[in-house]
Amino acid sequence: MFSIRGVRRTTTVVAAATLMLGLAGTRAWAQAAAEPADPNPGALTITGNFDFLNQYMFRGIRQNSTGMAMWPSFDLGIAAYSGEGGLKSVGINIGTWNSLHTGDTGQDGPSGKLWYESDFYATLGLGFGGGFALGTTYTAYTSPNNGFTTVKEIMFKLGVDDSAQLGKFSMKPYAIFAFEFGSEEGTGQADGGLEAGKYLELGIAPGYTGYSRAAIAVPIKLGMSLGDYYELAGEDNKFGYFSIGGIVTVPLGPTGKFGAWNLHFGGEYQMLGDTTKALNGDEGNQFIGSVGFGFSY
Amino acid sequence: MGGSGRARWVAAAACVVSGLLMGTSAAQTVGDPNPGAISLSGSMDASNAYLFRGLPQDDTGLILWPAADLSVALRSGGGTLRSVTVSLGTWNSLHTGVTGTDGPSGKLWYESDFSASVGLGFGGGVTFATAYTSYTSPNGAFATVKELSLKVGARVHGVSPYALVAFELEGQADGGVVEGRYLELGAAPSVGLAGATVSIPVKLGISLEGYYEGLEGDERFGFFSVGGNITVPLTSEQSRFGRWNAHGGADYVRLGDANALRLGDNTKVIISAGVGFSY
Repeated sequence: MFSIRGVRRTTTVVAAATLMLGLAGTRAWAQAAAEPADPNPGALTITGNFDFLNQYMFRGIRQNSTGMAMWPSFDLGIAAYSGEGGLKSVGINIGTWNSLHTGDTGQDGPSGKLWYESDFYATLGLGFGGGFALGTTYTAYTSPNNGFTTVKEIMFKLGVDDSAQLGKFSMKPYAIFAFEFGSEEGTGQADGGLEAGKYLELGIAPGYTGYSRAAIAVPIKLGMSLGDYYELAGEDNKFGYFSIGGIVTVPLGPTGKFGAWNLHFGGEYQMLGDTTKALNGDEGNQFIGSVGFGFSY
Repeated sequence: MGGSGRARWVAAAACVVSGLLMGTSAAQTVGDPNPGAISLSGSMDASNAYLFRGLPQDDTGLILWPAADLSVALRSGGGTLRSVTVSLGTWNSLHTGVTGTDGPSGKLWYESDFSASVGLGFGGGVTFATAYTSYTSPNGAFATVKELSLKVGARVHGVSPYALVAFELEGQADGGVVEGRYLELGAAPSVGLAGATVSIPVKLGISLEGYYEGLEGDERFGFFSVGGNITVPLTSEQSRFGRWNAHGGADYVRLGDANALRLGDNTKVIISAGVGFSY
């Protein structure tokens, strides 16, 4: 799911997307057989993923040079409110997202420890008419093996789920604005720079759920610095990266008492800006492949 | 943990497992928000001190214990083997005192444990569980300890006696010379009282080999504790947000010589309170 994640820290997006893809992809299964009873009609939703990747890029910033990255994640969603007025829904998500590295920033690195990153996040999501949604997320990015100093961030995401209007197609445009806080010079920042950064991401995630056995998405995104997010030698470079990818999500059977499970895989290409290129060993292009499984309940 | 926090979390998880064991009838309840095979439980507790099986960890500042457990009921029914449950969980300890934010690392997150267990439920309320646990310290306060434990329990007139044997596979809780083997015998008599549940957990921690290493070698007696807990439900069983509760209690812990030397005292009273839920 890396190409939606774009990489790691838009965890809620991934969880929600996985859930939606999973549910969408499951529909054909469900229609083929008798409609199964909902195993979880309550207000809490659990999602989880475990992915394997050859490379971990966080918003274009390289996190490992060798070995493999593994991403176990878990999300608890609480549907706090749903109604028919202007405000259609209020949801709360809390979760953890982790990156385990076998290479130079993990087991083969100075610490000798696998657990490179552990993120905790909490999101308040508001759903409006027309599929508009606004999410506010606090995230603490920590490194159990001291691969980096803790980064604290507030992120706002405005998105539109247009699948209700487009049927089996969707575009799902979104914009993310994130800012780091509580940092000091050289610490508490994704780029390890001098000042806390402000980040903007614009993206779409065109998808198609018309196939009976799989859902396809082609996420495209552009990551930019609004201020000090991609610092390099005292200069802030506006362009961080451009990314395009493809994800196939295959449901592993119908939704049952164990929830809905899926297998997903994909590829992603990233074109890097000056700062991210420098941090990538002066290589301006990066290809990422991933495979994993997920569930929602 | 030896005192209260982890025990309470384990108790909460056990409640979920128990619910799964009796899942068939629960699943048939009209309005059950979660009749499927996956259950979730969590808790957040605050305490004045943290002793892990009698081994002092910190008693300065505030200690917080967030925990979560996900259980999957693979089998549920009649017969000799009534249930098979797989659980994954995390238990954490956040310290504001000398082993946390006031300590050398300056970091709050003292401990993060990951556990995976398989539980079997038999007729007569007898349960058997095998768990693998990795105890890690995100702020680097101790080296990782990996452990395998076996637990046998039963429901006997609301007393719930149990025996637990744990083997350290790597690392040591006592920071000693050899990996230890640990035995815990306990019970948690409980009774319903005006809508609340009152329990009196009692436990005895013993080293079978190398678990409580001190100046005079391995000491058999690690600790004895007795406590009182009260759990008050905050929601109905049919709440679509799951069953929430507020709980609090106190444990009196009597330590063996090796642990008393570490603490600087041979007794400790641990007070804790928090909220929990199961879904």
